[in-house]
Amino acid sequence: MKTKFNIEKFESQGISLKNLEIFIGEVIEEEDWEPMGPYPFPSATDLRDWDFKILKRYKPFYAPYDDTCSLCTLGKCDLTGNKKGACGIDLKATQGRIVLLACVVGTSAHVAHARHLYHDIVKRYGKDLPIDLGSEIEVEAPLTRLITGIRPKTVGDFEPVLEYIEEQLVQMADALHTGQEGSYLDFESKALHVGMLDSLGKEVADILQIVAFNFPKGDSDVHLVEMGIGTMSPERPTILVIGHNVPPALDIADYLIENGLEDKVDIAGICCTSLDITRYYPNAKIVAALSHQIKAIRSGLADVIVVDEQCIRADILEQARRVRAPLIATMDKALHGLKDRTNDDVDKIVEDLVSGKVDGVAILDSEKIGEVAVKVALKVHESRKDVKSLPSDEELKELVNKCIHCNRCTLACPQNLKISEANRIAKTGDLSKLRELYESCISCLRCEQVCPVNIPINDVIMKAAMPLIRNEKGKVRAGRGPIKDTEIRNVGAPIVLGTIPGIIAAIGCDNNPRGAKDVWLLVKEFLDRRFIVTVSGCAAINLGLYKDEDGETLYEKYPGEFDAGGLVNVGSCVANAHIHGAAIKVASIFARRKLRGNYDEIADYILNRVGACGVAWGAYSQKAASIATGFNRLGVPAVVGPHGVKYRRAYLGRRDREEDWTLYNARDGSEVRVEPAPEHLLVAAETIEEAIPLVAKLCMRPNDTPQGRQIKLTHYLDLSMKYLKKYPEDWYLFVRNEADLPLARKEELLKRLEDDYGWKIDWKTKRILEGPIRKVDPSFDPTNLERLIRK
Amino acid sequence: MAELPVEIGPMYEGERIRAKQMYVEFGGPKAIGAELVQARSMEEVEDGKIEIIGPDLNEMEEGGSYPLGILIEVAGKDIEKDLEGVIERRIHEFTNYIQGVMHLNQRDDIWIRISKEAYGKGLNSLKIIGEALLRLFKAELSFIEKMQITFYTDPKKVEEFVEFARNVYNERDARARTLSEEDVEEFYNCVLCQSFAPQHVCTITPDRISLCGAISWFDARAAARVDPHGPISRCEKGELLDPTVYEYSGVNEASKEKSGGAIQRVFLHSMFGYPHTSCGCFEALAFYIPEVDGIGIVDRDYTGDTPFGIPFSRMAGQAGGGVQVEGLVGMAIEYLRSPKFFIADGGIRRVVWMPSKVKEEVKDAIPEDLYDKIATEKDAVDLESLKKFLQEKGHPVVERWKEMEEEEVEEEIAEAETTQIAQIPAQVSGMTIPLGGGMKIILENAKIHIDKVIIRRKEKE
Repeated sequence: MKTKFNIEKFESQGISLKNLEIFIGEVIEEEDWEPMGPYPFPSATDLRDWDFKILKRYKPFYAPYDDTCSLCTLGKCDLTGNKKGACGIDLKATQGRIVLLACVVGTSAHVAHARHLYHDIVKRYGKDLPIDLGSEIEVEAPLTRLITGIRPKTVGDFEPVLEYIEEQLVQMADALHTGQEGSYLDFESKALHVGMLDSLGKEVADILQIVAFNFPKGDSDVHLVEMGIGTMSPERPTILVIGHNVPPALDIADYLIENGLEDKVDIAGICCTSLDITRYYPNAKIVAALSHQIKAIRSGLADVIVVDEQCIRADILEQARRVRAPLIATMDKALHGLKDRTNDDVDKIVEDLVSGKVDGVAILDSEKIGEVAVKVALKVHESRKDVKSLPSDEELKELVNKCIHCNRCTLACPQNLKISEANRIAKTGDLSKLRELYESCISCLRCEQVCPVNIPINDVIMKAAMPLIRNEKGKVRAGRGPIKDTEIRNVGAPIVLGTIPGIIAAIGCDNNPRGAKDVWLLVKEFLDRRFIVTVSGCAAINLGLYKDEDGETLYEKYPGEFDAGGLVNVGSCVANAHIHGAAIKVASIFARRKLRGNYDEIADYILNRVGACGVAWGAYSQKAASIATGFNRLGVPAVVGPHGVKYRRAYLGRRDREEDWTLYNARDGSEVRVEPAPEHLLVAAETIEEAIPLVAKLCMRPNDTPQGRQIKLTHYLDLSMKYLKKYPEDWYLFVRNEADLPLARKEELLKRLEDDYGWKIDWKTKRILEGPIRKVDPSFDPTNLERLIRK
Repeated sequence: MAELPVEIGPMYEGERIRAKQMYVEFGGPKAIGAELVQARSMEEVEDGKIEIIGPDLNEMEEGGSYPLGILIEVAGKDIEKDLEGVIERRIHEFTNYIQGVMHLNQRDDIWIRISKEAYGKGLNSLKIIGEALLRLFKAELSFIEKMQITFYTDPKKVEEFVEFARNVYNERDARARTLSEEDVEEFYNCVLCQSFAPQHVCTITPDRISLCGAISWFDARAAARVDPHGPISRCEKGELLDPTVYEYSGVNEASKEKSGGAIQRVFLHSMFGYPHTSCGCFEALAFYIPEVDGIGIVDRDYTGDTPFGIPFSRMAGQAGGGVQVEGLVGMAIEYLRSPKFFIADGGIRRVVWMPSKVKEEVKDAIPEDLYDKIATEKDAVDLESLKKFLQEKGHPVVERWKEMEEEEVEEEIAEAETTQIAQIPAQVSGMTIPLGGGMKIILENAKIHIDKVIIRRKEKE
């Protein structure tokens, strides 16, 4: 609200005004709900000190994919051996620049999604739609409060939040231009800044959809959803929704409900749209994670394919055409060359799609999408019955026999699958090896393109795996959204008493090198050990694929609450923000730290105290890069799978560099040398066997109570023995005194400390006399920030 | 523990053994059972001895339910009768550490199952369980110098043992109930929560369990003996400076030191002045309701609104973080049973509202004549209905209202004055700015540019 007023003449006792003009640029009504911290709406430089602090300890480690730069016409520049490019940039800065680019792209996806939802929701419900997440959630938007200082009460309160992110994002994209930033550390600081914006954008997006579409608000016993390709029915018309932006799918569901067609037409989904539609419409099915996109389409069971945005195959139209499934594109970001029919008559569009006159259309008005998709599905279902999607048994034999075992497929395969070998065995009639490939194959189709004899390898694998596919029926607990404040309070005592060893967040995509079972194994392992496990996105979907000896999925076996041994599916990728939110709430609830505009203090708190670790085992996209970087800036370490090295950068700590592991004691400002906890902020593991103990290790924090450290160390040692068959070489660094030692191995470990590491032990009292990096000080108040020192 | 046939560790704690996976079970719904720890003199205990009176595991029939008594006798110079209960409660945890063994409940309510798988691996004798318990206990509780374990499986012996154990439990409970601050020389401080709330210090006395409800005076005593410099440590009681609010010199000193000077004084049993601080994991909150001059209690599990019209989560946000907040104090549900429950403020008779579930849970601690006078969410959801309820039922606080009304008249006058002062800036039309001292402000052809005006409202709760 801009205001201008003039006072021509005003005379009163003690005051005289003449020709006074007053301009007020903006009048903001602001509640004084908490004192404002130092950094509301932080710019890239506001938190640079914090970034440099963490970058000093967790140095960027670059694994260049390419040691040249060809982003401008001065190049292509050779950057090997300390050479600089024509613009003066070196290899490190180039890598930092690429990382920033990935983060900008990833964040843009989440933020554009949030912006789109905002417009859509404001159009439907107005700006005054209240943000109410129920009586057990007081801190409704932890990231928004923390970063912007706004406590959103209505949807409209997110407007300045989005504006802020968008402005910052443009500034950061600008820094990518040739001749801007030159230091790799500044590129990294900017990437961290963008990662933070990413987390904020996700929070806005998910809260918007929760309040607008009445998604679950942190209910732990939210409904179970059917999942798996095996749940797609050949008998019923099926609409397959793919992507991340749920409104088109919602409108399809609404159309079905309004017209009583819930039992007549199925909605099946892939990727985050499937997670979000099932938060609204429990009848919808989650078909698969991203990597099964091609498999779901080529199964031929989808009668109509509706795509919104992100993680859609770029050749979706060609793939849809192959199975004669009409395609509807619904977002301006992904139009796939289709004609915009938004303003056309519904029946005309339906007719064109049903008759096959057009392969697909773009419709950018979601209410029309529902009607078109359902009508088309009902009409084409019968005519599509003759669609032959996969080879027959006879054809399979022929195709397999065509293989000349040139191995080009394996070379092209990102997972190095031994396709030729599987074919060789299949020639004998044994399809078991081909069938085994089904799980690890991400259907990227690179093999099909290089096959000199044109074997449709994906289809061959699918055909061989039909018995598996038919039985691919699991359950996923629908995304519950935020973690309740009361749940955080409940876990406070168990965490300090050591009965909850840590919080694991298994998130992200499913470019899993050995299939999704690896993630399942990791999650089950930590659930059995009473960790809290939160999941989202494709990782959450894939867990539903596997059943234990009792025929139950993890979702059926473990409760959905944020508690020891609880499996918490927060929802889609944007719902990840609730995991950040839980960590932030710990600071606000237990330490009553002020959140408002106080990012570095809270990140410092989390880094030193909250034993949480992210795992993005199958991370593939730019969004995964920005998600991980956003967790990192907030002080949460992340482990990525072997493909994660392709992001080119890790944040690795060096436990041998003593000077990197010093903290202040906020009580008196003294400097305290601490154990390397957490050792890394971003690290790639080669195998899941390596990742599991690593994740356990990264849950240790300097503030651990002896009870907490004892249990964390127990799991670290035990998991290392279990999966790597050896004691980890650094375990002793985490021992502060004898109370930290795992109970069942106490004597043995004391002996090892004495024999292998030269520690002095008083065997009579079984106490450690000399050896640890530091003693336990129950009142140690660790911080990296000078401003928090109290004396 | 390489030589034991099964693994030992906390990862087996969550293990569930269903009927079809079970080799045998003890206690539970089909047989009697009990476990008991007894403190003995050094001469009475033969360290490491494990005895089985009755048939052993390998003499039992697969699928059977058997009676079981577990007697653990301990000795050590720091061991006393008061620690028996604390040691005994760890049997549950440590038995569950054993792979293939499930332990539920405690005391004479135990239910233990051994899995077929574990039996197959060689867990065919109770001696192995005894061996594991011996080592775990001695590793965790260093004050146990000697320990011997007897398993009773002979039905008649178990019967006698359960009878004996029940008497011990009763005596122990009677002592715990009557033990008060006056009977002991020392309290305990727990700063475990400082790992998350750096200023919070819990003072644990026989009359005041930790806010989380997890650590009693006995538990704290045991923990402080194991690790005197650990997070739970001895706190000298010192001098009782104020017997109405229970301010002790020793508690003040320890709180000051352990909070880094943030907390100077603590009134152990009052919600006002210098109340005990709150961490974040308190089981319940006591909140003062000025409108009825009474105390409300709300627990973490209650999701509805309190009479203030706000839920627990919102109210809890005001407490916590190791800060002293008058009239809003975190507590354990068990504290309601303490004879010193906010005794300075009138104790349990000042409590006017609590969720029905809590009321039911602590029924035994509420005087009979008061029980129906305390409102729950079923009786009152706002201040108006609460007031009406209390008046109708004749709650003791109603007596206090008369005094309150007299005070209120004076307060109203004072308030009226402040309100007037606060209203002046709103009277823009008059533009009378009271300027004294003969000064005059003249603005001519002036332009005032203001980029942003922020109107900051103080939040009303």
